[in-house]
Parts: sequence; structure tokens; C-alpha cells
Amino acid sequence: MGIIEVTNLKKSFGTLDVLKDVTFEVGKGEVVAVIGPSGSGKSTMLRSLVNLEQVNGGSIAVEGEYLVKDGVYANPQGIKRITSKMGMVFQHFHLFPHLTVQENLELAPRLVRGEPAEESRRKRDELLRKVGLTDKKEAYPAKLSGGQKQRVAIARALMMNPAIMLFDEPTSALDPELTGEVLQVIKQLAEEHMTMVVVTHEMGFAKEVADKIVFMDNGEIVESGSPDELFHNAKHERTKSFLHRSLK
Amino acid sequence: MNIDYLINITVPMLEGAQMTVLLFFIAIIASLPLGFVLTLMANSKSKPLAWFAHTYIYVVRGTPLLLQLLFICFGLPIIPVIGDYLVMDRFVAACLGFILNYAAYFAEIFRGGLLAIDKGQYEAAQVLGLNRWQTTTKIIVPQMVRVALPAIANESITLVKDTALLYAVAVPELLYFAQTAVNRDFTIAPFFIAGIIYLLMAFVLTLFFKSLERRFKFE
Repeated sequence: MGIIEVTNLKKSFGTLDVLKDVTFEVGKGEVVAVIGPSGSGKSTMLRSLVNLEQVNGGSIAVEGEYLVKDGVYANPQGIKRITSKMGMVFQHFHLFPHLTVQENLELAPRLVRGEPAEESRRKRDELLRKVGLTDKKEAYPAKLSGGQKQRVAIARALMMNPAIMLFDEPTSALDPELTGEVLQVIKQLAEEHMTMVVVTHEMGFAKEVADKIVFMDNGEIVESGSPDELFHNAKHERTKSFLHRSLK
Repeated sequence: MNIDYLINITVPMLEGAQMTVLLFFIAIIASLPLGFVLTLMANSKSKPLAWFAHTYIYVVRGTPLLLQLLFICFGLPIIPVIGDYLVMDRFVAACLGFILNYAAYFAEIFRGGLLAIDKGQYEAAQVLGLNRWQTTTKIIVPQMVRVALPAIANESITLVKDTALLYAVAVPELLYFAQTAVNRDFTIAPFFIAGIIYLLMAFVLTLFFKSLERRFKFE
């Protein structure tokens, strides 16, 4: 049984079906890369896992608990409990600009969990070391580069000790020379067997780090499999032509 | 014209200025939070609340402050039956008028501040597990204040000058004493002194808001 199980997920905006019957699962400790053209529903699918988008049908279960079952959502406490198992990293970071790096990290554990200050500080220092930003802890986000911001955002999500990390195009807003430092941090998390779902356009990264690749197009999963299967033996014409265009 | 004369006319004006300052503080301290409540109402999902807030802002911004003051001071008491209960001390009535008026302007300033906040801020707060109250107080308001600060500064200086409308409801303040001296002594010096006192107050406010803006720069 997967740590995340998504079955027959459906979502539409008006007459536009953005998710049509999406089914997949993520195993514990697995890194899943979701690829596909813009507008294929990748981000919507990812965002619906943490209730940033509401679906019209289907089920999402995390660690066996249903966030939504056959289109019916859990109660508010249930939603909160289930979504708190997941950390989310956005394309545009969404750091809190009025708080320093360390305040960004400590805010949620202190406020939401009532974590003791000492514990938050210890975890904060550990995570800032991990993402290589110890010297920036007093800085405001405005003073950081895009790559640094994204590393802070990753550390901020990790502060809540999530079982699963979700990444929504974590490097798409970065200058090409800054993507490496962010991908490095994600790679390190993969080595520590963090369960992750990464929506990405970085094919090289997906190939190297992911255990499983999911290819989405037009609101549905066209095919999924190991990087080797997808990159070298794709079954579907749509997958082949997308990969061909992306790897050029 | 000698120094003694200038001091003689300045002293009552400074006493009048106390009224100005008092009204300023009462109005600003009450109207800022009231304005924020109006903003929340205007943005609320509840249709009647939003409708009330928008209508209120429309009426208050659409009519002169002077009319509103006259209405509260001289209009309310002549309403049949209930009028007798609506007689207020002139200064209290003026404070009420200023608070109700400025709240509407501040509400619009705050609304602009809220519009400037990226929706990603709400999303980030949500996925970190913050509830609505925590999101509003810890994430949204500080950022809104930063955006709104220059407009609030502007409005505050307008408020200092608008206190001169106390004159119209016969509460003696700075301008009243200046005008009295001009009429009595047939000299324009009191007007200049009054102008300087207003400028000094505006200067203090300007410095205050500049330092606030620096604190809210987040860099």
C-alpha cells in the first residue's frame, strides 16, 4: 500500500476538465517525478494533495487516511491532520517577506505546534546547515538570491517534520545557474529516503533522482514507470514526442 | 509689531492647538482599527456585511466631512422624538464625525494594501498549518501595513488640517484663535503663526512616518 494513494481524481474549472480520472500511488521513501507539458494538470494534481485545490471526484488517501473519498472531503480537523503530513515547496517560494530567514523557519512550529523555542532553534540551525544557509539566518528574503530563497523554503517546510515533501516546479523560477543548488538539496533528501513528489521540467534531474516518473498530458496520466522505462522504452507516442521535445 | 505682541497672540493659539492635537489622536486611534474592521467586512463572504461596508464607505466618501459634522452636531438633535437624546457635547460630536469619516478612508487604504498581497502568502500559510486568525495577524497585516503606510501618512496629515473644521461647529481650536486675533487687531500675523504651527505638526508626523516606513522595510 502506498503512502499516498490517488484514485480516479477528477477536477474541472467550468467546462474545462483539468484532471480526468488520475490514479497513481507513491510508496514510502519513493521519489516520484511528475513531468508533462504546461497545462497538463501536474500542478493542480499536486496542489489538490494539500487541499490548495478542491477536486470534484475521486479519492486521495495519505498513510491510509482519506483526505477525500469518492469526492467527499474529510471534516476540517481531518483535513488539517492529513495535510499536515505533507510539506509543500512552491515555484515562487512564497517566503514571508516581513520575517527573517530564521523567523520564516520558526513561525509555523512555534505557532501551530506550540513547539518550545529551544527545540525550534535547534531544528532551525540544523536545517539551515543542511541547506547551506547558516550565515543568512538574520537576513530578510529580499536580500537572498532565488536559489537561496528556495532552499529556505525547503527548510521551512521541513521544520514541520513532514512525512512527505511536495515540490511544485521548484526550479522553474530560477536562473539556470541557480537550479543546481536547489536540486542538490532535493537530491540529498532523496538519499535520506524522504518520500517526495516533484513536479518538474528538469528531465536530467528526474532521470537521475526519481524512482518513478509519471507523465501527464491533458489532465490524465499517460504512462508511468521507472526512469529507464520512460526515457528509453516509452510505450505511448505522446510520451515519446514530449520527451523528444524536452531532451532536445 | 513687537515680540511681546506675537507671544501674546501665539499663546491662545497654542492652547487651541491642544484641541487640534487631542482630536487628532482620538480620531486616528479609533479610526484605524475601525477602518480595518470595515475592510474585513468589505472583503467578507457574507453578502450583507460586504454590502453594508461598501455602502458605508460610499456614503462617507461621497459627502463632505463638513456636512457630516454639521449633521451630527446640529442635525441629529432636531430629529423628532429621538433628537433630544442625540444632543452631544460639540467636541464629542466632532470626534465621532472624524472617526466615522476617517475610518472609511482608512478602510479603502487597507483594502488596497490587501490587494497587493500575493495569494501565495495565504497558500504558504495554509500548507504550514496556520489558521485564519494566525494568517491574518502574523502574515497578512504586517505586509498590508507596509504597503499602506505611505497612504496612511498622507491621510494623517490631511487629518491634522481637517481639524480646522472644528471651527465650523464652534469648538475653539487653533484657527479660531487666529481668526479672532486677526479680526481684533487687524493684522495678518496670526494667520502666519497658525500656518507655522500646522506645518510643525505636519513635520513631526512626516518624521514619525518616515521612521515607521524604515522599520517596515524588511531588508
